[in-house]
Amino acid sequence: MTLGLPGHLARDSLSRALAHGGHCAAGVCLGIAVAVGVIGATVEGDGAGWTTAALAALLAGILALVARYPTVTLTLVYLVAGTGVVLALTVIVMDPAYGVRSTDNVVLALPRIALILVGGAGIGSVLAITWGALGYGLGEAAAFLGAALMGAMWTPNVAAVTALAMLVLARTFDGLSRRTDARRETGLHRASQHTRELAIRHDYELRATARLHDTALSHLVAIAAAGSGPVDERLRLGIRQDLGLIVGRDWAVDHGASDPAESSRPPATFARPAAGASVTDEPPTLEAAFAAAAHTGLDVRMSGDLAVLGMLGPRRAAALDDAVAQCLVNVARHADVREAEVAIGFSGGEVTVAVMDSGVGFDEDDVPADRIGLRTSIRARIEQEGGTVRVWSTKGVGTTVVLAVPEGGE
Amino acid sequence: MTRMRLTQQEADPLGGITAAPLVAIGAALAFGTSVVLTIVHWDDVVRPLAALLAIGLVGVACLTAARSVAPSRAPFTSERLWLVVALAVAAAVAEYISTIGANTSLYDDFGSIVVGTLILCLAPYCTWIALLLAGVLSAAVLSLLVVGSASEIAVDAPVISLVALNSAAVLALAAAAAGYSYAIVDETLAWQRSANRAALQRDAELRAGIARSVQQSRVSVLGREVLPFLAGVMTADRISVADADRARELAETLRHALKAGIESTWLDELGADLQLAKGMPVVVDDPTGAANDLNDDQRSALTALLVWLADAGRSSELRLELRGDPERNGISIVAAHGSTPPGRRELDRFTAVARAMAMGAEATLTGENVKVELRHVVE
Repeated sequence: MTLGLPGHLARDSLSRALAHGGHCAAGVCLGIAVAVGVIGATVEGDGAGWTTAALAALLAGILALVARYPTVTLTLVYLVAGTGVVLALTVIVMDPAYGVRSTDNVVLALPRIALILVGGAGIGSVLAITWGALGYGLGEAAAFLGAALMGAMWTPNVAAVTALAMLVLARTFDGLSRRTDARRETGLHRASQHTRELAIRHDYELRATARLHDTALSHLVAIAAAGSGPVDERLRLGIRQDLGLIVGRDWAVDHGASDPAESSRPPATFARPAAGASVTDEPPTLEAAFAAAAHTGLDVRMSGDLAVLGMLGPRRAAALDDAVAQCLVNVARHADVREAEVAIGFSGGEVTVAVMDSGVGFDEDDVPADRIGLRTSIRARIEQEGGTVRVWSTKGVGTTVVLAVPEGGE
Repeated sequence: MTRMRLTQQEADPLGGITAAPLVAIGAALAFGTSVVLTIVHWDDVVRPLAALLAIGLVGVACLTAARSVAPSRAPFTSERLWLVVALAVAAAVAEYISTIGANTSLYDDFGSIVVGTLILCLAPYCTWIALLLAGVLSAAVLSLLVVGSASEIAVDAPVISLVALNSAAVLALAAAAAGYSYAIVDETLAWQRSANRAALQRDAELRAGIARSVQQSRVSVLGREVLPFLAGVMTADRISVADADRARELAETLRHALKAGIESTWLDELGADLQLAKGMPVVVDDPTGAANDLNDDQRSALTALLVWLADAGRSSELRLELRGDPERNGISIVAAHGSTPPGRRELDRFTAVARAMAMGAEATLTGENVKVELRHVVE
């Protein structure tokens, strides 16, 4: 998620949100005016109650339009209609029969407040205060005229003045607080982008590390293990292919349709499915794993249906393939056996590959900290694809590694 | 998280922090209103002690509201809203008791407007549902008081009309609060959706450039020693004992380099970036890779704090220590003062943002350095 609102959008967003809050309050005021009118008409049989309810409902309808389409025309229509409603209600409420002493009363406050909270066209504090002040002025003028028509006492409506004061306070505070530029200073939005970049960089570092481990390190280990003597032709070929891969290629970019360099690579020791395969309908295979097994002279017995790999995206299938290849390399190097079993299956939304051997086994706690094959080439790859790796190994009995990745993926 | 359960404080932490002074102003006005209206209807007061208690309760409610939104106490929790509303409603009840039998007008009672004003002030810190609920429940309690004093009202009107009119202030103000909260969260989430879409597109462009820079850095490490060696073996007829020894040595070196690479986290990358860009020592001590336990928002909050501390001469050195714990991780940041040390208020802004991101945050400012302690529960 990206945190907060950026400075350049905060003004518009806050202005619209404040206007929306005002419209809600105005709607409640007019709703209560409608309710009071209806109660008066039904409970007390006062015919003027229906007029009150109708006028308040009319104003509420126009308010809904202003809220939906905050144009200058609709705002002006609302203010004019609201002025008429306040005038009419003042004439009704100030009828001597009701015994109301002055225009400073709660019934007349309802349409007056609704008029102040018009929100209105445009964005920003100055405009909002201008529309609110206009609503207050027109309402007060209408109340004055209505009181004069009825010969009643006119007094400024305290509730309306309070509503205007609240509006001015909220809008002024909003306008002033944005000037301090705390948003830019804090740089949350920038930090969010920065964090994403760091995550991508780290992701690539891990991929590059895994690839390095698979290539240069395995050759160095092979040379060290071979000791003095003629260079093994398979080793020579492997080095040639991998040097070709490392130098001058986007080797940190894992295989995928976007990596045309991959398509030219021969299907050798650590070759992955060609990029073309991911754009055709051919399902992915465990090509790299079988190549690794062949390269190390390991006899692999396969069970299960390879077609389940088709449930994975090309990148995820290739990551699984690479991890299985590394498992087989580990069997060949450390298990002291010449054969392994690979079982593949699908259940519970996951493609699972088990690599089993009946070799010497190991205790995971005894593995030196600098041995990183299991961590990078297997675990890191699978976990990057949202999968899990489980290892069961008993000394003298053998090892089983179960790799599971969720279906789908890139 | 849906907008029903989100507050502005969570969706836009800086907006929430910026609104804190407005709560103090609103609370002061609410208190002033209670005093003024009590004086205005003093003729109706038959129990002065209850009237004074009412004002006292309003004062406590206002103080609670203003203090509980302070950035140093962030995040504001819904319990605090209910505490403030309960105190304000209690004040309204005390006011009612003070005028029992003599209340001729509801228009000059402060209960409804004070409760509504406090709810409105707290809008940036609460969900729209909580605000609406607070308004409706308060209105229900205040309505009972109206029913109790209906017979004393000078104007002849049905009780239900009096209830509706008396509830107008608290309902309208609560509606304004809920409407604002809903709209600002909606606006923020809409922007975040579009920003995240743009970020994904940007990520794709970044990936190509970053992949090449990573490749170059690794290849340069390899190129210096390993590649010439492998190329030599590839073209040679025999492997000598010295070659085998050299291969073993290079393999060990490479293993250690790779291990260090694997164990580093995004925070190490950030530290290296800051050290390079600002020319100051940045030490990240994270032996267990605990930085990876932070979620995206927490990472952004921590990045913003570190970038800010490292910027504009605020610090001369940054030291970070991360402690991995099975349930609760801790991050200690010590920033030695630079030429223009940071101020307390600015620092509080960052700790409040961290708290909004579900982290415990405490900042200490001394004459020599800034210490920030962050804690978070591993998800």
